Amino acid sequence: MREADIIVVGGGPAGVSAAVEAAKSGLSVVLCEQRPALGGAIHRQPAEGAAPVAALPSLARRWQSLSAKLSASRVEVRTRRAFVGIDSTGAVLIDDRAAGKVEVRRPRALILACGAVERVRPRPGWHLPGVAAAGGLQVMLKEGRVPEGRVLLAGSGPLLLALAAQMTAAGNPPVAVVEEGDPVSRPLAATRLLTHPFILPDMAVLMMPVLLRRFLWRRGTRLTEITQSADMLSARLRAPDGREERFEVDRIGLHDGLRANDFGLTADPPSGLVILRAGDLREVLGAHAAEADGAEAGREAAARLEGRPSCGSRSAMRRHRALQHRLSRIFAPAQGATVLRDCPDETVICRCEGRTIGHLKEQLAGPDAVSARELRLNGRFGMGACQGRFCSEWALSLMSELRRSAGVPASPPDFAETGVCRWPLRPVALSSLANAGIYDDTRTERHIEGISA
Amino acid sequence: MTAVRTFFWQGIEVPFRAGESVAAALSGANIHGFGKDNAGSQTRYFCGIGACQCCLVRVDGRTTEACLEPVHAGMIVTALEDGDA
Amino acid sequence: MREQHSSPPVIVIGAGIVGTATAAFLAMAGTPVRLLDASAPASGATGAADGAVSVASKRPGPMMTMARAGAALYRELAGQGLFQGLFHKRPTFLVAASDAEADVLSDHSKALGEVGAPVRWLTRDGAADRLPSLTRKVVAVLEVEDEGHAIGYSIVSRLISAARLKVERYCPVASLEYEGRSGRVSGVRVGGAVIEASAVVVAAGGGAGRLIGLPDVSRPRRGQQLVTERAPGLNAALPGSLLSCSYLLSKKHEGEKADARGYGVVIDPLETGQFLIGSTREEGRTIPENDIEAVAHLAASAQEMVPALGQLRILRCFAGIRTATCDGLPMIGRMPGTENLFVAAGFEGDGICLGPLTGRIMADLVRGEEPEMDVSPFDPGRFATGSIAA
Repeated sequence: MREADIIVVGGGPAGVSAAVEAAKSGLSVVLCEQRPALGGAIHRQPAEGAAPVAALPSLARRWQSLSAKLSASRVEVRTRRAFVGIDSTGAVLIDDRAAGKVEVRRPRALILACGAVERVRPRPGWHLPGVAAAGGLQVMLKEGRVPEGRVLLAGSGPLLLALAAQMTAAGNPPVAVVEEGDPVSRPLAATRLLTHPFILPDMAVLMMPVLLRRFLWRRGTRLTEITQSADMLSARLRAPDGREERFEVDRIGLHDGLRANDFGLTADPPSGLVILRAGDLREVLGAHAAEADGAEAGREAAARLEGRPSCGSRSAMRRHRALQHRLSRIFAPAQGATVLRDCPDETVICRCEGRTIGHLKEQLAGPDAVSARELRLNGRFGMGACQGRFCSEWALSLMSELRRSAGVPASPPDFAETGVCRWPLRPVALSSLANAGIYDDTRTERHIEGISA
Repeated sequence: MTAVRTFFWQGIEVPFRAGESVAAALSGANIHGFGKDNAGSQTRYFCGIGACQCCLVRVDGRTTEACLEPVHAGMIVTALEDGDA
Repeated sequence: MREQHSSPPVIVIGAGIVGTATAAFLAMAGTPVRLLDASAPASGATGAADGAVSVASKRPGPMMTMARAGAALYRELAGQGLFQGLFHKRPTFLVAASDAEADVLSDHSKALGEVGAPVRWLTRDGAADRLPSLTRKVVAVLEVEDEGHAIGYSIVSRLISAARLKVERYCPVASLEYEGRSGRVSGVRVGGAVIEASAVVVAAGGGAGRLIGLPDVSRPRRGQQLVTERAPGLNAALPGSLLSCSYLLSKKHEGEKADARGYGVVIDPLETGQFLIGSTREEGRTIPENDIEAVAHLAASAQEMVPALGQLRILRCFAGIRTATCDGLPMIGRMPGTENLFVAAGFEGDGICLGPLTGRIMADLVRGEEPEMDVSPFDPGRFATGSIAA
């Protein structure tokens, strides 16, 4: 057996459908997933003995259907494999977590389907224990651990309502959902959702506990601060009319939208390797779009390897894009865009390195106009273990805010400018790098030349 | 098959369900703070997909994401602050 | 306080550690100066350096002598406050893993002794006591004191703020402008415009040769490095950097093959509790990127030297391009035949150690003052005699 023709990274809907479609051509396909089981965040499966959580109606049975196709295919599934990146020679690096070694693979094509990551805007106290990303709470719930105690969900977007509905169904509704947007005040925009009939049953499920008043739905309201006292978290909310309110809770889930999990990937990969992006990693359009997009990516990869004209216009995405666009308008913040520089200086931006808004202001205080890269290096924003996935966006937008307020015209600096497009995309054990092995024809992995075993 | 499987968090026996992550099992035991990391920040479960590096723990001497690491019977899991060498 | 001059400012090209130090010392001495960079400060070799302020790693001869003075300046400036919190004094341990390496080390220790570097051999038990995490498979360990560590981009940032410099970023200099046949430069050309200068200092690393008309005197030599996560316990157990003698061997034999790739392992415990692991020496590589073969080799060698490093995670890999001259010595001084054109470039991997000292020397030269040390071994005139150009 020789090296696979195609490696697919990510075992969610995009990756699985890409692998299944690509394998139909007869090409050899390996599907790598970082967790012990497939499904991704959206189709996370319950642990043994845990009650499954009701999926949204439009997603029910999608996973069963996809898994059945995968079982019937010749795709080789490899779990506990974290994608580390593509090196300068075009080698695909996969961290085999169980074996403690980095696989050095040279497929002809690579399909990246690593999904999305949540955006969580820095707020005072967001870094405290008990505060999680709402999507993080949702995957935990799907694994079978319902968030216990008094839970508050805050931020913006339909995910908050979806999680609230699932928590309600699982027996512990949140005490409140604090939504920065005010969907109810935009009836016209909401009516336009009717042009996407397939999500209407989902909307009904989302809205039912709201209508039944199973939890408070604070709209147009912003969570401005979290503090910790004894064993409780205290959340301060600000309503559209400026009135403040406090909730004492055990846990808080925050969510300010999603972004493609393409952090660190270079836009300009080494030549000789066909690289396609699929699903939320390419464009965050949700699970249905991801599954369709993955299938197209799988077909496109196969076509390109076989020298056939590539069929992929990825045109099916237009409708999903229109839907996401409408949803984001419906959930637009009612109190206007948040201004990070109004947060107290102690507010943590980069959790990994413990760097605050005050630290960032210090870096920009002098007469010299530092670049985004210098801000990163000297301020250590994004220099920690998450490599900036959760802070770079906010550090850069605060930098732009401060520049603008100082009268310096500034376009938002982009990630590439900070110099973080490089591997490893994720921290990887030094011993696993030392054990790096080339995956070769004989299917035994030999050590890289020059390294003693 | 044993009825209840357990692992160790900071020396304390914690039950778990087969197939779940260290983070999920700790959450089931109502453990939400995983101690301080080596930069002095509090660790805790956060993103659930191995991206944020907020839930780092030490498993058999290795630093790993609690949300990705499958839990096994008898596994020794500790906070990072309890020494690295 | 700046003096009022009617003449145009001095222009320094290149905001790496050498150019920034030159501009900063000029500004602090009251000379108006403009600091230009083709991209941003510390974006070349300075920003990808290992930060060793080390005499131990230098070749015997003028470089070792200058490194000794360079390290002394770091200690002085740390004491005075300018580099406070940025320069960290710690010894270097040269580690020989074979008899051949021990022989090289023995010669090297004599050379270090001759420039006055405090050295001492560790006994086997002494090494085990002092360096508990070091593998027992060593033949000899030499401790060199008076060494230290400084992060290049931090030093640059500190110099910029201390001298209140405003760096002119994304300002690539296309060429130098000469004043007819007077033997003087009148300014530099950036885009379509000429910026007037009373003097020009070219500190543009790999871009220097082209600007001064000596495009062939230098070549790139890439270095790849790794950074681990924080490990305060393991870090505290390592009192200084470990330098494999294979590094000295790789420095000795470099340049012999056009596409050679040398490895010499350095493990440096950083102030953050992290470890920096370097480095390759790759001939002719101009793109700062990492490949798994090199990274795996460095990881395996580091783990061999300090086995406990194996359990740490690597957060980042990075690469930098050193600029090496064909005789291995930097160019520091006035360009022959052009009285107000100066060059300070070609430091290869030694810019962090030598940068501040070079900056102070360049500032003196530009201001017409006697520099604190003799830099004639580095006279750029040695390349300008026609032998290279021909």
